[in-house]
Amino acid sequence: MSIVRRSQQWGTFARMWHVFDATWQDPYQSSQIIAKYLLGRHKPISHPMNRCGDHVVVINSSEIALRGDEWQMRVYFHHDTYHGGASWTKAWELHKKDPTMIMKKAVYRALGNNLTRHQAYARLHVFLDDKIPLEIQQNLSSQIKQLRPVPQRLDQISPEELENFPQIVKLPETYVLT
Amino acid sequence: MAFARCIAKFTKNYFLPDSSRSISITATRNIKEIREVKENNTTIIEGIVKPHPKEHLMLKSCDNGACPLCSAGVNVKHTDVLILKQFVRSDGCMLPRRITGLCNIQQKRVGIMVTMAHRAGLMGTLKPKNCRMDPKKRRDWRKYNTYYDETTIKQSYY
Repeated sequence: MSIVRRSQQWGTFARMWHVFDATWQDPYQSSQIIAKYLLGRHKPISHPMNRCGDHVVVINSSEIALRGDEWQMRVYFHHDTYHGGASWTKAWELHKKDPTMIMKKAVYRALGNNLTRHQAYARLHVFLDDKIPLEIQQNLSSQIKQLRPVPQRLDQISPEELENFPQIVKLPETYVLT
Repeated sequence: MAFARCIAKFTKNYFLPDSSRSISITATRNIKEIREVKENNTTIIEGIVKPHPKEHLMLKSCDNGACPLCSAGVNVKHTDVLILKQFVRSDGCMLPRRITGLCNIQQKRVGIMVTMAHRAGLMGTLKPKNCRMDPKKRRDWRKYNTYYDETTIKQSYY
């Protein structure tokens, strides 16, 4: 067996640790991918009777991006079982309180409703920035690809690139931009 | 002494027309460059239209009458700030269609995508001066990252 196949086999049968950078990522779309890794669905030996899920470390969860007006429109419901105990928290209010909560809840939902959920959810580690404890950092061996490219702000682009970018618009000769 | 210097400066600027004026009554637009050429006894003064500074970066225009964005064949997204930047003024306002030369649909699309880019805080340098440049300094939900989906734009060819 070649060394590539051998390491593939190790990766399949061992618990691997993946890292996912949540910067500018939609938590609800990326949670589908993360749930796949947590349940081991990405492995060829995956089976409902087979426990082969991996660990996923999500970093920069405070930098997630929601679509359109979802920060105001998405609402998290909680009921404390008393009369009038219902409460609705907007996504931005929840994110202000705990920047890891939206990511955790999104993955918890994506894991599906059965008994494997709790064990898989225990393998998720969410951090609000890129500071990871050393004992977790030493386990990491793989990275999950981001769904969306991180957009570049205009003030972050270098002046050379700004100067040499191709021009699409040709303004009229007599028109002067203000 | 300072007053005398001030008077001298005023006289020089306004009553001696041959000196170079730093103040102009109407807005200077610098479309044409005035060039003075002396040949023997004749002096030629001519106004020449200056070429665009980014002429060499211009894409080739199509002959089939398609608008510049359609003929470029690029799928523009609201994160492509280097493209969207060409359609706005220095304060971030969209240019009118008679200036941009776009077709109706592309003009609408670009206008919506410019708004998206502004809301996502990607074009902070193209804002009126009293605006906050850094999107992180906004209030409430506005400081959190927001992205937009281009498929929600109604105007499209397909």
